[in-house]
Amino acid sequence: RQQQPVNMAGVGFQRLAKALAKGKGSGLSALVSGCRAASGATKDSLPGAYPKTPEERAAAAKKYNLRVEDYEPYPDNGEGFGDYPKLQDRSQHERDPWYKWDHPDLRRNWGEPMHWNFDMYLRTRVDTSPSPVPWSTMWKQLFGFVGFMLFMFYMGEKFPSYQPIAPKQYPYNNLYLEKGGDPAKAPEEVKNYEI
Amino acid sequence: MADYREAPLATRPKTLDPNEYFNLSPDYRRAEEERAALRANLKRQYQLQLNNPHRTELIEDPALTRWVYARANPYPHFRPTKKTSLLGVMFGVVPLFALYYIFKTDRDKKEEMIKAGTLNRKFSLSY
Repeated sequence: RQQQPVNMAGVGFQRLAKALAKGKGSGLSALVSGCRAASGATKDSLPGAYPKTPEERAAAAKKYNLRVEDYEPYPDNGEGFGDYPKLQDRSQHERDPWYKWDHPDLRRNWGEPMHWNFDMYLRTRVDTSPSPVPWSTMWKQLFGFVGFMLFMFYMGEKFPSYQPIAPKQYPYNNLYLEKGGDPAKAPEEVKNYEI
Repeated sequence: MADYREAPLATRPKTLDPNEYFNLSPDYRRAEEERAALRANLKRQYQLQLNNPHRTELIEDPALTRWVYARANPYPHFRPTKKTSLLGVMFGVVPLFALYYIFKTDRDKKEEMIKAGTLNRKFSLSY
């Protein structure tokens, strides 16, 4: 069969024109194709509504790659979760750093169900890993120190304590000449000491 | 770490969970094996796609797609309950009126002081 040279850019337009010419619908439905590609995510692989029957639960567990016993949806209280599974509130900090994850920076394998707050539990953000000292101890130390310092500063404001001071004493009869006193007149004697 | 205690913000890691080491019942082992089977299946799918020499496109992660879709489309599953209505009012309605009231009273007070001439109008260069 001979291959006729065809301009690939124009093929789409040609087909569109042909479809419009013999199209059944009118208006927008004539332009929009009634079929769509089979690639991409299918409708039933996307999250749906809260599962009510055990069959729906099993199907949802299979969809999210979880065991049926492990699958636990968020309680159905209208907060917009649908059938998304409720995973443990553990941050990515807690995951094994030495295991060969598919995505090492995220410490996650391909296809693994993601936590609802995955973007919060990243390694750059919230950390739920165990702390070396119990949290109660940490809170006590922090608030103890801060509270003590605040209290002491408050007491310092209430009961100030200074070195004893007096007005500054100037020589030469309280700077009589410098302050513009008459050189002819005798200044009054100022004695700033006591023996 | 034998005396490790959980806290609201510090969970017990799996390596410190005593159930991992003592009293390993067959049910627990079976559960772990099922989970490992699921994980291995996903790993296999990923590795096949990753090492496919004829692959030219990016590997699409359906779990990621589902997560993005779930986060972006909570509206069909929304229902007005006591809690959701309260949250909506607290975050959407109350700040509107509260901030309006606060700003209005503060500005009115300042205007009165300016008119009376009691406001200390500083000439600050920086703000």
